[in-house]
Amino acid sequence: MTRLAGVRAPHPGALVALALAGLAALAFGALLEAAQGRAATLALDAYLRRVLVFSLTQAALSTVLSLVLGAALALALARRRFVGRDLVLAALGAAAVMPAIVVVFSVVAVWGRSGWIASAMDALGLASRPDPFGWPGILLAHVFLNASFAARIFLDALARAPAEHWRLAAILGFSPRATFAHLDWPILRSELPGLAGLVFLLCFTSFAIVLTLGGGPGKATLEVAIFSALRVELDFARAAMLAGLQLAICLSLTLLLHWAVTKAPVAPTERLPAARPDAADPRLRILDGMVLAIAGALIAPLLLATLEGVLALPRILDADLADAAATSLVVALVSAGLACAMAIALAGAAQAAQARRRTRLAAAYDVLPALVLAVPPFALTAGLFLALRGHVSPAQAGFLLLPLVNAIGALPFAYRFLAPALATSAERHGRVCALLGLTGWRRLVVVDWPMARRPLAGAFAVAAALSFGDFGIVALFGGGELRTLPYLLYERLGSYRLDEAAAIGLLLVAAAFALSALATRMADADRR
Amino acid sequence: MLIVDECRLLWPDFEARYSLRAETGALVAIVGPSGGGKTTLLSMIAGFETPLSGRMSFAGRDLLPLAPAERPVAMMFQDNNLFPHLNAAQNVGLGIRPSLRLDEAERARVAEALAAVDLDGYGARRPGELSGGQRQRVALARALVSKKPLLLLDEPFGALDPGLRREMIAIVDDLRRARGITVLITIHTPEDVLDRAASLAFVAQGRVLVQDAPRRALDPARDPAIAAFVGHAVPAGT
Amino acid sequence: MRNAYPLALAALFGAALLPAPPAAAQERPTLTVYTYSSFVGRYGPGEAIAERFEASCGCDLEWVTADDAGSLLGRLRLEGESTTADVVLGHDMNLAGEARDLGLFAPHGVETGELDMPVAWDDETFLPYDWGYLAFVYDTTRLDSPPESLEALFTDAAGPSVVLQDPRTSAPGFGLLLWSSAVFGEGMADAWEALTPRVVTFTTGWSEAYGLFLEGEADMVLSYSTSPAYHRAVEDETRYEAARFAEGHYLHVEIAGMTTTTDVPDLARDFLAFMLEEDFQSLIPEGNWMYPANLPSSGLPESFEGLIEPGEAFLFDAERVSAERRALIDTWLEATTR
Repeated sequence: MTRLAGVRAPHPGALVALALAGLAALAFGALLEAAQGRAATLALDAYLRRVLVFSLTQAALSTVLSLVLGAALALALARRRFVGRDLVLAALGAAAVMPAIVVVFSVVAVWGRSGWIASAMDALGLASRPDPFGWPGILLAHVFLNASFAARIFLDALARAPAEHWRLAAILGFSPRATFAHLDWPILRSELPGLAGLVFLLCFTSFAIVLTLGGGPGKATLEVAIFSALRVELDFARAAMLAGLQLAICLSLTLLLHWAVTKAPVAPTERLPAARPDAADPRLRILDGMVLAIAGALIAPLLLATLEGVLALPRILDADLADAAATSLVVALVSAGLACAMAIALAGAAQAAQARRRTRLAAAYDVLPALVLAVPPFALTAGLFLALRGHVSPAQAGFLLLPLVNAIGALPFAYRFLAPALATSAERHGRVCALLGLTGWRRLVVVDWPMARRPLAGAFAVAAALSFGDFGIVALFGGGELRTLPYLLYERLGSYRLDEAAAIGLLLVAAAFALSALATRMADADRR
Repeated sequence: MLIVDECRLLWPDFEARYSLRAETGALVAIVGPSGGGKTTLLSMIAGFETPLSGRMSFAGRDLLPLAPAERPVAMMFQDNNLFPHLNAAQNVGLGIRPSLRLDEAERARVAEALAAVDLDGYGARRPGELSGGQRQRVALARALVSKKPLLLLDEPFGALDPGLRREMIAIVDDLRRARGITVLITIHTPEDVLDRAASLAFVAQGRVLVQDAPRRALDPARDPAIAAFVGHAVPAGT
Repeated sequence: MRNAYPLALAALFGAALLPAPPAAAQERPTLTVYTYSSFVGRYGPGEAIAERFEASCGCDLEWVTADDAGSLLGRLRLEGESTTADVVLGHDMNLAGEARDLGLFAPHGVETGELDMPVAWDDETFLPYDWGYLAFVYDTTRLDSPPESLEALFTDAAGPSVVLQDPRTSAPGFGLLLWSSAVFGEGMADAWEALTPRVVTFTTGWSEAYGLFLEGEADMVLSYSTSPAYHRAVEDETRYEAARFAEGHYLHVEIAGMTTTTDVPDLARDFLAFMLEEDFQSLIPEGNWMYPANLPSSGLPESFEGLIEPGEAFLFDAERVSAERRALIDTWLEATTR
């Protein structure tokens, strides 16, 4: 080592963190500068206060329900082996990244006044009709998306329990309750702060779902106000202030969560196949059956509803679609690669900080990926565009920003997949690496890669699928060369072609399903 | 007495057939090359592997129909014997009642077991605050409170330095004598148990090639596998 | 080469490494027109318009699209002086004030002559290319007797359920706010409060609302008086009708303007003039499902026959809309969340 003692090169993760914070700051700065000192009309009026209270309640409730169902589902799936289990896992992966507009129409197709449930009730001669608008629709859609995601993350985590612990549990005759208390709960709890923070933020900033299924402007999020400030009032100062307010709320809540729920230490482990002794418990069989049935009843119909698009499939197969699919694919691959690279760097930095006992810094790295969600993508894009506009043409800016903003949007998902695996790797090999002077890239390739390869497949799949179905910034920069599948979906929706939009929605869901199935298969291949 | 009689296990790439005896209250060392099937033998006795054929009994009782928890077996591994979120006393308490709802007498037993492994007053520490040797002694204390008469130790002290390792083996051996436990221990360093073990079983290629008094069992002339192993493991002159 | 994205991305990264190539000598100038996506989509009139214009202009017409009118202006606001747009086509009259305030639009200088619209046109910055009446569309097989006035719709507690658009995010949604203001005046808040229980939901945009209506979630949807023409022409479906309201209907006028920053001002002006000519206007009815601003000699297609003809057309001027926007939205918010 020729490096001076005490002077260390910055961790790549530190650079990523700085870059992300810089991008957010740049975006805010550009928005404020473009406002040309016009005073922001940020009266926190009665309506805004009501929206805030609603948003907090709605997000908290959605988070609790999603995590409870997600955890129960993960435990049931961990305990049970059945035909089609891989399909269920792939379906969860597809559900987790379903585009909001597709979710909205699925909820309506199943639970709407003329939906499946209503038809069934009609057939049974029942007079009452379900009404998804309002709380039921919002919660249903959020739980559908986030319980699916939480279940995937929890299931991955549960598989990390040391095989020795399972053997001890068998020898010591752990009851199902003791198994949960000593084996499952500590693992679930270690995932909780990060996952809860992410889900909360997703629900807090959820826009189309809350607005459309909410049934009235009383049920809205701050994001709506930001959207209208940017696109209708063209009042950038107000947009920046509202975005700042949203960021501040999310930041304080995330920090509170991390402070309230301390991370349990991770046991380093060799992952041998170990049978769960509680799988045979008859009461758990019943419970798992019920959990799978409930989750199935909530999740499966909404996925199946997208199949209605199959009728119009023949009509959408044309050059436009092939172009859009190719563009979507390229954008998705670039964004997913970028998101995974950022996630690995940040997780590495978090581990490095943890190793130096700088737990606060480590926690900050851990919070950051979710926190970027609090910056409204629309404001981020707008700000970045303003910052770039002197240097590149608008068309070029679109090319650059689309994968970048999509990658930032997918980062927290990728991070939740990757961080625990890298943490395990660090606890297991950290000292050896330190002794061998194995750092940076070489350490990543030699040590972390074998541990991270499996979750990386999952992270890449989820990031790619998210980006594939993301409409957000294409709204602004789409068209011309930048036509993606979601863009095409809206274009057809705008031309009265609801059925063709449904068919494109089906394609998006099918792509997510395929990606997810592929990732599941790769994971299982490794498990031997 | 523990009797393992022609117990056969089969995998696509590995076949094992074990026969082994251990007198009640004896210490039996299990030695052999890595990948030879030592851990598998212990796993089978604990009930994690089910033999296709053969018999296995302890003190006249057939073990094969029993689930791991029903067998008279306590077990200890090289790593991960403790749950990191529980303190030492709680980890020991799991050996009495996994729900950890212990009464006064049971808590006293936990304290007594910790004292027996020289960890008096360490009950409130978490595994992360204990040294490697201390962690293994907590695991040993748990094996003691479970009152299981057959203790299986799978490379339990492989990660400790030679001095500490011998000290730990001495603790195990003393407890064995004091409480009449039967101990099976897999070990890379047979010289540590030559004077304590009643017998030594040499395991390679899924077979117990030899079971005999320790020094005789390691005679290189008995099997090329033993010669190869001894050449590496036992320094000349031992 | 329509799918240029992968290439463009490569080229962009390549360009960062290489010195910028000298601007290629352009034989044909390019006219860049910003519009919303469905205008140039597979079913929009955009492609045909480009072909027809290019046949006479000696130029290339390049469409650049944003999702909807709001995005269009949002993008323009972002790009500011650096915008490459020569013409912006597709925002509606209700955003004209905000658009004008950007200071990016130049006077069009086109002599329009007499236009076929319910209102006179004298705006010097923006020209209309099509228009329609806001109207509530319903399914005649599900709703026998639709309300006959906006007042009946709003205040009859036993009236039909409706799906509307959020006026903060949607052009027709905001149009309804203006319509209700024109009809109810001071009583607007009370009217909205009376309607709210029968509003299934307020969606982000027109597409979502119309989709929900077609899925059967509401008896009526806020759309345009021309919507039934689509169902007749494309689906041969006659069950959808727009309800004619006694008070009159609010106008939705789609407009275009040329930018101050254009480097081909003559071409931009030519395009705006072309926009009101037969070649452009004849593509509007069954391409964009609106009334052409300048009726082509062939008249309206068959599918437009029998559409409702409102007695009065409301249209507030742009300055009034800009000035009242916040107050109207606040009134609406207060009334609907009360």
